[in-house]
Amino acid sequence: MKILLSWLKDYIDIDETPEKIAEALTMAGLEVEEIIEPGKNLQNIVVGKILSKDPHPNADKLTVCKVDINKGEPLQIVCGASNMKAGDKVPVATIGTKMPDGFMIAPAKIRSVESYGMMCSKKELGLAEDHSGLYILPEDSKVGEEIAKTLQLNEVIFDINITPDRGDALSHLGVARDLSAIFNLPLKRDTLGDASGEGNILDEVKIEIQNNELCPRYSARLIKDVQVGESPEWLKHRLTQVGLRPLNNIVDITNYIMYDIGHPMHAFDFDKISGNKIIVKAAKEGEKFTTLDGIERTLSNSMIVIADEQKTLALGGVMGGLESSVTEETKTVLLEGACFNEVAVRKTAKALSLPSDSSARFERGVNIDNTVISLNEAVKLMKSFCKCTPVQGIADAYNMPVPLRQIRVSVKNVNRLIGINLSAERIETYLLRLKLEISKDEDGLIVSVPPYRHDLQQEADIIEEVARIYGYDNIPETLPEIRTTVVPQEKDALLADKIKNYLVSCGFHETITYSFIPEKTPDCFLSKRPIAIKNALSEEMKLMRTNLVPSMFEAIKRNMLNDEKNLKFFEVGKAYLPSDSNQITEPLRLCIGLAGAKNHLNWKDSKSEYDFHDLKGLIENIGAICGVKFWITGGETASMYHPSKQAEIRAGKHVVGTFGVIHPSLITNKKVSKNILIAEIDLTAISKENPAKIKIKEISEFPSVDRDLAITVPDNIEHKDILKTLKADAGNLLETCDLFDVYSGKGIEPGHKSLAYSLRFRDKTKTLTDEAINPIMERIIKSLEQKYQAKLR
Amino acid sequence: MSDNKHELIVEFENDLQTVKDTAALENIRVKYLGKKGKVTEQLKNMKDLSPEERKTFGSVINKVKLEIQSKIDDLKSNLERKEQDEALRKDTIDTSLPGTFAELGTFHPVTLIAQRISELFIKLGYFITDGPEIEEEYYNFEALNVPAHHPARDMQDTFYLENGRLLRTQTSPMQIRVMETIKPPIKMITFGKVYRVDNDITHSPMFHQMEGLAVDKNVSMSDLKGTLGVFVKEIFGKIPYRFRASYFPFTEPSAEVDIQCIFCKGKGCNVCSNSGWIEILGCGMVNPKVFESVNYEPGKYTGLAFGLGIERIAMLAYGINDIRLLYNSDIRFLKQLQ
Ligand SMILES: [Zn+2]
Repeated sequence: MKILLSWLKDYIDIDETPEKIAEALTMAGLEVEEIIEPGKNLQNIVVGKILSKDPHPNADKLTVCKVDINKGEPLQIVCGASNMKAGDKVPVATIGTKMPDGFMIAPAKIRSVESYGMMCSKKELGLAEDHSGLYILPEDSKVGEEIAKTLQLNEVIFDINITPDRGDALSHLGVARDLSAIFNLPLKRDTLGDASGEGNILDEVKIEIQNNELCPRYSARLIKDVQVGESPEWLKHRLTQVGLRPLNNIVDITNYIMYDIGHPMHAFDFDKISGNKIIVKAAKEGEKFTTLDGIERTLSNSMIVIADEQKTLALGGVMGGLESSVTEETKTVLLEGACFNEVAVRKTAKALSLPSDSSARFERGVNIDNTVISLNEAVKLMKSFCKCTPVQGIADAYNMPVPLRQIRVSVKNVNRLIGINLSAERIETYLLRLKLEISKDEDGLIVSVPPYRHDLQQEADIIEEVARIYGYDNIPETLPEIRTTVVPQEKDALLADKIKNYLVSCGFHETITYSFIPEKTPDCFLSKRPIAIKNALSEEMKLMRTNLVPSMFEAIKRNMLNDEKNLKFFEVGKAYLPSDSNQITEPLRLCIGLAGAKNHLNWKDSKSEYDFHDLKGLIENIGAICGVKFWITGGETASMYHPSKQAEIRAGKHVVGTFGVIHPSLITNKKVSKNILIAEIDLTAISKENPAKIKIKEISEFPSVDRDLAITVPDNIEHKDILKTLKADAGNLLETCDLFDVYSGKGIEPGHKSLAYSLRFRDKTKTLTDEAINPIMERIIKSLEQKYQAKLR
Repeated sequence: MSDNKHELIVEFENDLQTVKDTAALENIRVKYLGKKGKVTEQLKNMKDLSPEERKTFGSVINKVKLEIQSKIDDLKSNLERKEQDEALRKDTIDTSLPGTFAELGTFHPVTLIAQRISELFIKLGYFITDGPEIEEEYYNFEALNVPAHHPARDMQDTFYLENGRLLRTQTSPMQIRVMETIKPPIKMITFGKVYRVDNDITHSPMFHQMEGLAVDKNVSMSDLKGTLGVFVKEIFGKIPYRFRASYFPFTEPSAEVDIQCIFCKGKGCNVCSNSGWIEILGCGMVNPKVFESVNYEPGKYTGLAFGLGIERIAMLAYGINDIRLLYNSDIRFLKQLQ
């Protein structure tokens, strides 16, 4: 909200600099987002009068003007605009001026004609986007005067962000009240208005409130013989500066009162009202009504309408109606000062997408006493510059007086909550500065809350007021006692931290992607029907992901389209899984993405592409880091992966993850590699598994016997089966058995592969001899030959 | 025979002057200490002397022998070292070639900042906990003193789900969830994703918040100020900051913390919209209405609470000017975090 310093000065004699005022307001909770000084950038720009306008001798589109700025000889200025004539008054930037955009005006020679200054458009002055020509000033502008003064731009405007609780501060009076408390200065202007008039309104207008909940109070004044016309310059200026567009004196006055004391008003053309009764009621469900902006709207029964005995006149608190609005022809005006239900106004403004200055104030709560005050203030203004005959009195329906709110405040609680040590007297002083009424008894203070402070509901609210005026700056800094209840961190989060450290050490980059996935995500990525967002930003962000794989796949694809081929990513995040009972689980998942060359930055070692077994090894390590034994089994279970290059990860009895090569059919762009590896592991599930027990075996002091075994087998024979047979035949003398080579190709029969194992035998009680091992080796070889058609190499 | 220096030593030292390498040194050694060397010859000649003379002469020659041997040894080790170094110097590699050990990865900026903050609060005695992102309206709003149709709801535009729940707009629901479960003293922090209907260069529909809560019998605003002062120092170093009044429905009194703009040092620039200050977090004293929501005995406890956007801090700390960079997994961005 824009607040003018000059307007504040109607209420308070404050001499502080704009910066000091802004800082004080900000510190006290009325955050000044910007100090706007429209005239500040216009120094040395003055009113000039064009004495002559001649064509430029060397350029068709330029003119050469002589301009009087009431200082020395007239200036010769070359100009590119054409909308001016001799006798016009225009803004002239003199030599040495720094324009709002930073350009310095210096003497210049334009196509061999000297030019001593610049005549300006509105855009060049930073006042509007209009660049169609020079800004032709009003005829009565004073030649030589600073343009900022002529255009009344020497104003200081505070743009204040008023928080939703401070409806009382949405006006110049409201801001002045806070300033008065902060700087301890008196408020000098009263706001009693002018209650005088002729006749008696009660003979002409009756008010009926049908629902006191929706409208606790409705007051009105009648003004006759009104001449609708333009407002005086000073008022139009103030409205313009706070961002409103002046319309006519009546509407302008209602807007002015709103920004002055904070009460939204409405003006009706009384002659358009049938009968003499104003009825405040709930709208009829489905009722049609055309608002001031000419749009026909469909109302619901939670909305408030103002009606006469035949028709609806206005949407209470939100917007007036077109039919009863004030126009040039209006002769009799009925002014409304009302108080509407906060929630009803908010719902109406939301439902009709009609947020307004008025609804913003009613939503936050207005001063119920201001229904009458605003009317009398408006009449006072009206009488000061507009021909009119106010009718005596106020038609006032106030059926449910709001009780005075009193809050008990203990000095002990004030000091306990703020952490300071103020006396009762100091506290009282601060509260009095805020115009709160105080009484005292042995238990402390009793604060009576004025009707405009809807935010003051409980003791803590009053304590905040004390703190604001005491100054948040003055509160000391201490640390709370270290006392807490010990709550262990969630185990999945702890695992995540460990794994993150490991993966970063392994060269992986952590990513974070959106929890949203597109509505058109391929089915193969969806393990369950995802939860949809009702008001999604776009179709691309419509569903809550049920796993992290599609996001990881997208991340890898996006990078590959940027010609980044070697990618090692991981993400830890939640999946969002609905269940039948409308419960939702959010397991913590780890997703790994891997593509491109191993050692791609290594100029020494040979390069190869990351493959299934690289990822498998990484996953086994992660199992070890989690303290859980992973069982990895191949098999076609997930359609997002290559049918024969995928596996499930089990811990205990549960599947805790899958991994594999992304199905090549999901890759359509040539820039994207067909060899993208992705794994997803459920950390929440792992955290529920019992950790694998570590049991140290005795180390034998006797030497080992090492044997290598190289065999060829048909391609379909799997390592795990060979290993099983081998271990069974070797018996318990076998200490380790490591596969150290797998080879197929030259020298190997087609359809076969060669596997080489290194076996280490050891006895716990004696030194082994070759003689003891030979029969074992023979047994192993025989078994492998029989079961797997293995041949020794 | 000289009084102070044996003539053999003098001769030997002259010879030694000419030695440039271990081979020449070996020649000198043979010349004096070899089987037919000058010292050996003298020792051989001793047998012709009387026992007394032999004793005196023997001790002199032995001294000479030892001195020569020790000087040869010293020079030999020097020369050997020099010769070895010369040989090693010829065995060159290009030390400017890149290192070949597997390179490191990077943590996401959000993780880096969250780690720093959680480490600090763990030191201050806080525990870490975690909660759901898909929330019930009650926890996200009502229990936090934001009734339906309250203007404060405009502060956070909410994503609603088709199952009637919503995506939490803040981590504050965790205040309720924790206080529902345990009684004070409580000191907790929580960290996680939150969602708001917003998407531009400084706002993301998904971002991360960190929430802190300390509830005990006498926690005060000065404790809040002190705690956040420590936080600012830890994250931003010694930098001016201010603590100003604000409004949040679930705290009363409420405050916001600004740090001096790190881009213009408080002079005013685009980033701080000329104010010289940058807002970094919201905080306050737990509103008694929130204690009411969790059925704490009225007036028994006070509490401090604070919440901050991790992305905002990360963007300030690393000079990131577009929040979307944080979520598009661009490796050219991520690699820079090393
Ligand atoms: Zn700045």
